[in-house]
Amino acid sequence: MIQLAGKPFDDEESLSALNPYVSKWFTGNFTELTPPQKYAFKLICDRKNVLITAPTGSGKTMSGFLSIIGKLFDYSLAGTLEDRVYCIYVSPLRALNNDIFRNLTKPLNEVYEIIKKEKGLDIIKSNIKQVTIGVRTGDTTQKERRGQLTRPPNILVTTPESLAIILNSEKFIESFKGLEFIIIDEVHELANNKRGVHLALSLARLKNLLGKAPATIGLSATLHPLEEAAKYLVGVTGGKPNDCIIVDASWSKKLEVKAISPVQDMIYSKEEDVEKLTYAEMDRIIKGGKTTLIFTNTRSGTERVVFNLKKRFGYSDADVAAHHSSLSRESRLDVEEQLKKGSLRAVVSSTSLELGVDIGNIDDVIQLGSPKSVTRAIQRIGRSGHSYKATARGEMLVLNRDDLVECSVMLDAALKRHLDSFKVPQNALDVLAQHIIGMSISKIWDIDEAFDVIRTAYPYSSLDREDYMSVVNYLAGSYVGLESRKVYGKIWYDEKERRFGKRGKLAKVIYMLNLGTIPDEVAIGVYTKPNKLIGNIEEEFLTKLKQGDIFTLGGKLYQFESTKGMKCYVVEAKATAPTIPPWFSEQLPLSYELANEIGQFRNDFSAVVRDSLKRIKGKNAAKMETLPKEVDDYLSKLPVDQNSRHAIFGYFAEQLLFAGEVPSNELMLIECTSDPDEGKNYIVFHSLYGRRINDALSRAFGIELSEMLDTDIGTMVNDNGFVLSSEESIGINEKTIKKAIEDIRNVGLEKMLKANIRRTELLRRKFRHVAARSFMILRNYKGWKITVNKQQINSQMIFKAAEEIDPNFPIIKETYREILNDLMDMPRAQMLLDNMKSGKLKYKVIETDVPSPFSHSMITFGHADVILMKERHKYLEQLHKLVIKRINENK
Amino acid sequence: MELTDDIELVDGVPIAYIRSLAALVFSDLHLGYEGKMAKKGVFVPKVNLKHINDAIAHSLKGRDVKQLIIVGDIKNDFSTVDTEEFNELYELISFAKERSLSLVLIKGNHDNFVDRYKEPFNLEIHSQSARMGNYFFFHGEEMPNVGDNEVSTLIMGHEHPAIVITNAAGRREKLRCFLYGKYKKRNLLVLPATNFFSTGNEVNVHSPSMLSPVFHGAKVKGMSAIALGYGSTEDFGKVSDLIGM
Repeated sequence: MIQLAGKPFDDEESLSALNPYVSKWFTGNFTELTPPQKYAFKLICDRKNVLITAPTGSGKTMSGFLSIIGKLFDYSLAGTLEDRVYCIYVSPLRALNNDIFRNLTKPLNEVYEIIKKEKGLDIIKSNIKQVTIGVRTGDTTQKERRGQLTRPPNILVTTPESLAIILNSEKFIESFKGLEFIIIDEVHELANNKRGVHLALSLARLKNLLGKAPATIGLSATLHPLEEAAKYLVGVTGGKPNDCIIVDASWSKKLEVKAISPVQDMIYSKEEDVEKLTYAEMDRIIKGGKTTLIFTNTRSGTERVVFNLKKRFGYSDADVAAHHSSLSRESRLDVEEQLKKGSLRAVVSSTSLELGVDIGNIDDVIQLGSPKSVTRAIQRIGRSGHSYKATARGEMLVLNRDDLVECSVMLDAALKRHLDSFKVPQNALDVLAQHIIGMSISKIWDIDEAFDVIRTAYPYSSLDREDYMSVVNYLAGSYVGLESRKVYGKIWYDEKERRFGKRGKLAKVIYMLNLGTIPDEVAIGVYTKPNKLIGNIEEEFLTKLKQGDIFTLGGKLYQFESTKGMKCYVVEAKATAPTIPPWFSEQLPLSYELANEIGQFRNDFSAVVRDSLKRIKGKNAAKMETLPKEVDDYLSKLPVDQNSRHAIFGYFAEQLLFAGEVPSNELMLIECTSDPDEGKNYIVFHSLYGRRINDALSRAFGIELSEMLDTDIGTMVNDNGFVLSSEESIGINEKTIKKAIEDIRNVGLEKMLKANIRRTELLRRKFRHVAARSFMILRNYKGWKITVNKQQINSQMIFKAAEEIDPNFPIIKETYREILNDLMDMPRAQMLLDNMKSGKLKYKVIETDVPSPFSHSMITFGHADVILMKERHKYLEQLHKLVIKRINENK
Repeated sequence: MELTDDIELVDGVPIAYIRSLAALVFSDLHLGYEGKMAKKGVFVPKVNLKHINDAIAHSLKGRDVKQLIIVGDIKNDFSTVDTEEFNELYELISFAKERSLSLVLIKGNHDNFVDRYKEPFNLEIHSQSARMGNYFFFHGEEMPNVGDNEVSTLIMGHEHPAIVITNAAGRREKLRCFLYGKYKKRNLLVLPATNFFSTGNEVNVHSPSMLSPVFHGAKVKGMSAIALGYGSTEDFGKVSDLIGM
């Protein structure tokens, strides 16, 4: 059973549960127990499974480790501590492993010193040994490994991949037979992706190997729902989650947050002024504290902000620094070191400093633009405040009206503790295939016995027997004739006896060299034909490109044509605007929960504005000196500044005056409009549900409407909705949409989407990853490394052949599953379609002769960048002028 | 589709039927290809041979066929015959035997070492070219030595020709094709590859990279491209008219 911890234990009870010397050391070093420690010390002493979530700086690591160290010293004092592993600690971050090693060595030594002092010669007489700790990662040398084999450390610090290797190391695993504790750190970094799924299976195999379940402790930053994370951590027995107690100390820090608009008028303020005021605001905050952390969402944004802060305010390299994943490891470590010392005034980061490494004391966090999720906002802002008792302070600087509404609602949700949820990928067949190979190497398995072990891992607790067997059959090589199976087969499988095991002498070597879930990736060269190199893009960005998409590179516009391996071919574009912004693959999609809250806000606030407009008719709502009282009252409940209130009111008022409707969670507005300057006709779906859902919806509606209207349709997708565009004029009404929804439902959304993505880069790239994870391509084979380029070309061949023999081949099935469920959110897209059909979600088609204010950000979406957005800004200004002109004409 | 009175291009497959010889003609099978990839750690499911057998079986229906003429590159590996290749070769030979078809093989650049199977399997193997009736068959990697005035038509493989068409939605579609035209006053028919994985050598580009010495100069542009796909075989007209389509 999963349950929330009740009342904390009192400090005395907690401390007396610990080994007395450890307890002594603790009270000698700390004045009190932090909130998570008040629960964890005792619970872990009692060997409970515990999931601890708490902000950084709240002694989370110590809460996980101290009881365990105590147990080990108990053994030591009793003279029963052996040279074997009692506890493993797994973290996804290699850098964190070295930190942990250092941080634990100190208490281990100090406790031992205390014992020495007290026991004197008894130490030798009663053989009281020091508790040992060792690190084993990909960086561990052969010599160190041999040392660990002859004298295994009592606490082993490792990564998910190294743990998987250990599971198949017959000799080393012997020293795990008496394992008592497992600690998984950074659960939030694992539970939502395939790397974490891989670890969950490793843990299931480990427990099976031991014949018992050691106490399992998870450490995590804020995440939701915690029950889901707990299930991930402890796994499942007989379909029911194992026992786990959740210690939720994530709210022990107070939050003080505000959304700030540097200008009152976000449309007509001059570009230079907006920039100037934004940087001035940043400077004010930086000067107000000792160290400020600034998040920009994109790496290029990071560099630009650093540059501007130095140029405008004379900060030096020693004052302001950038930190993002494209920088070298050395320079990142250097920045982290300076942060710990407290010598930097400000550090600017994209996402890399969001979590993990200890970065010392931060006074304030500035967020530029929306972080797109409440959880992320809290994690980022939570990096400030000197201790868990301090208040975390954060400011969001916002530069456009959609972002403003988004950030206001987000911060409000953060204060109300409404978190967005994560999902554990379910039944990933590629990771499963890899582990079955691993299992086959250790012993001969009965097919049902293996199935049962696999299902104890939460990500496979609902695994279909049919899917399982399809993977076993694939691994057995049943897709080729008998005589070829010794080449193609990866496991030995006896169908009659229903058993499987190792195949071939090389099986283990191949497995060890190829395991893991992180795909090989390299930059993609962008070429014009025949072979002129323009520049590079990231592969992730390439997967977002649809044929005909236009993007900027080196200040010029290019249209995407085709790819070959790691080369991307383009032509210079005639169009004036890109259809996809360069940061599209970097920025995370808006979470569904937050999207819904924004939709709710739109719904509620538009009612207030509607009433208010009736009362003040005739006045120019956007230019009012003071806000109508009811509006001001409503908005003052939100954590926003004065400028923001004016901007939000103006935005809603214009939309209502112009279009008569504000799209919300209860009303999907579908707007037929056109842009005379661009010569384009648009159908704007105001579908505020985040990009993952809109990606799926836009494809379905795009295909369907282009067929119904018999015209070529382009699509642009963002978090607030999607836009279908055409050179020809497109006339639709509610009936058209009704028919489209019916057709989509008749054909089936999944079938439609599969057909649509079948020949896209997205599928090709993801298939390569899945093929490598399931060992259909061995990246490392007989001393050869297959280049990413070759992997890509070969995987396309495999896809073609596999599809020919079975469109439901497990590797193909998994690729579609990953795209439709992890990358897109097809289940929720389906739900919206169902709701539109049943009338639960209303929709309304309106016609406008210029795009309504709420559609502007969608139409200008492809334009330029979030911060340096001159072009987009100009374009927005134009659109806005047209809207205001129409509003005035209508009066 | 009927190419001449005597030659039919069987709809939707890369096979030509010659009535007067009661023969199916095809080329570039590259048997053993998947096996070779598997040895490099790339486990491509085996579909090539089945695909080829299906195409032959399809072409046999309603036609009087006594022999299969393979215009080179029956197998994939240059240097030797490995087990995977041998198994597939054997399977193809059995397939022909069961249907009482004799096999004629014109050796291509990938076909070293097939000679050792001549005796046990009773194969007719020609090392460079063969003349049968009015037809002269050669693989294509070397200049043909025809030297016989009776020959009206040359038939070759080696090129793996294909055309690329960009459809309305901007998607590039590559279709395998036959090429048909003139070579030194004789007719020349270039066969597409039968190999399932062959993506094809694009001919409708400004400077196609042709492999055979036959195409030194730009003669390919004057030939007709007869493309196959989606179950049919269609004449797309002159290659020169298809450039940049």
